[in-house]
Amino acid sequence: MIKRTISIFLLLCGISVFLPRAGSAQQDETLAPGEPPQTLTLSQAVMCEDISANAPRNQTVVFSVAREKAVCFTAFDEVSAKIFIYHNWFYKDIISARIRLALQPPRWSTFSSIQIRKTDIGPWRVEVTDENGQVLRVLRFSITD
Amino acid sequence: MDKFIIFLYTLRWQDIVDITLTSYILFRFYILFRGTNVFRILIGMTILWFFQRIAVFLGLIVTSWVVQGVAAVAALIIIVVFRNEIRSVLQARNLKSILWEFTSKTVIPTIEIIVESVFEMAQRKTGALLVFQGKEDLEEEIQSGIPWKGTVSKEMIMSIFWPGNPVHDGAAIIEGDRIREVGAILPLSHRDDLPSYYGTRHRAALGLAEISDALVIVVSEERGDVLFAKKSEFKEVKQKRRLKQHLQEHMGIATKKQPFMRREMLETAMAAILSIVFITGIWFNVTRGRDTLVTFEIPIEYMNRDSGMEILNTSVNAVSLDLSGSGALVKSIKPDQVDVRLDLSKAVVGSNSFTITRENISLPPGIVLKNVYPNEVDVDLDVTIKKTVAVQIDWVGKLPDHLVLVEASTDPLSVEVIGGKRILEDITTLYTEKVPLDKLKENGNLSAKLALRPASLKIAPGSKDKISIKYKTAQRF
Repeated sequence: MIKRTISIFLLLCGISVFLPRAGSAQQDETLAPGEPPQTLTLSQAVMCEDISANAPRNQTVVFSVAREKAVCFTAFDEVSAKIFIYHNWFYKDIISARIRLALQPPRWSTFSSIQIRKTDIGPWRVEVTDENGQVLRVLRFSITD
Repeated sequence: MDKFIIFLYTLRWQDIVDITLTSYILFRFYILFRGTNVFRILIGMTILWFFQRIAVFLGLIVTSWVVQGVAAVAALIIIVVFRNEIRSVLQARNLKSILWEFTSKTVIPTIEIIVESVFEMAQRKTGALLVFQGKEDLEEEIQSGIPWKGTVSKEMIMSIFWPGNPVHDGAAIIEGDRIREVGAILPLSHRDDLPSYYGTRHRAALGLAEISDALVIVVSEERGDVLFAKKSEFKEVKQKRRLKQHLQEHMGIATKKQPFMRREMLETAMAAILSIVFITGIWFNVTRGRDTLVTFEIPIEYMNRDSGMEILNTSVNAVSLDLSGSGALVKSIKPDQVDVRLDLSKAVVGSNSFTITRENISLPPGIVLKNVYPNEVDVDLDVTIKKTVAVQIDWVGKLPDHLVLVEASTDPLSVEVIGGKRILEDITTLYTEKVPLDKLKENGNLSAKLALRPASLKIAPGSKDKISIKYKTAQRF
């Protein structure tokens, strides 16, 4: 479990490098305390083998262990300020990873991924939620041989 | 003496009823079958059984096998060979007479009629041959009889043996108060010590009496004599009273004044005492033999569970019972005769602990419970609820490297399941059975059953347990 957390952490570090950096102006666009929450509309959520040119590559619902990685890609309609969403990864009904992702203009897409191993074979799902834990989409997939 | 008193205290009321009931059954068996060949064969079989036990006791291996084999075959032979005799004993009587009565009183007036008729025919020198069946079946000994089935009356008897009647030369077979057959041909006796004036009618009477327990009355046509034949006895009867007495004795009816009645009463009393002694002996042998210990693994049955609850888990599913009793009783115990039942009527949701006591265990009579292991059972109960859960495909295997499974949808997307509340709290998805990827085409449809785990889950009525799958593959980039 520790190894898994470390690998997820490293991947998140990778994500933060991979995603375009927001400017300081965008930082200012973070919602101020007490401001009413903006509407978050999920326009695309897919499982894929990789991300290429900010777009999902090889969309799939089955990941072979040989591919070593599973990616969850989500894209939202325009958001006016920085906002956080979560990718909650479940193996069967047990939560395996809870990944916090930031959305900030001008980019509204993000992704998370996990490294997959032989012991991960079985049915999985990713619940995409907003900051309040409201489920926006559930993506179901399997990890196989 | 003290030991005897202690023993009396150990007797239960069930033991007394047991011995009394079985003794009575044996006694009734004697009453119903006494004097028949079946009874004689049964006595023979009992002797064979004793002989076999002695052979076993003495360690005569082959002898005991042979005797056992003979006894087993003899049991079959009795049923096959004496089926008619057994049937006649059981069918001729009603339930009351089988269970209780010693004689049938309906034949008393019949005897009077017969005696009157016989002596009137003797006076008129009308030849007659009357057969009174005993307990043995006569079907194989008598030939060519014409069924009659008429109630006995003087006029009827007189007309049967009227010389102008075509059946007057044959015998009339009388059973109880009915004439069963007329014109019957009886086997002839081959005795050479009979007087020369005895004709065929006399030889026929003696012939049947010699090979059966029937009583036969002959009225001589030439001399007007009345004779009766029973077994090898063949005597002339001059008085009505004597004939009546012979008939009553044959039919098992008598008055207190008659000596044979006293003899019969004594015989019956002896049979009753012997039945009690015999059964008591067997009872002691079976129930008070050497103590034997045996251990049975018996599954626990849970009763009176609230229909809204279900058993989630139990600490044990079966308990070991150490039982003791006489060797014969212990050997005869079958696991389905022993039950361990726990009453869940007062159980609550969550963990319940029960102690197994003697009241929870039912044992065959004569068997004593020595120990129960474990004697504590924990039962985890839960409330049954319905919950809608999502359906997910559980893919296995491998797709060819150039393909990816882009999409796979299920119909329905969710199903309703019934199960324990605490189980369903943690379940949000129900998976299909393993669906192999290897055989997938580019696009297509499949169906798969839902895998219910844990097995206590049930698909709610109205929900499907078989799922349709629509899938789409694409070339890998």
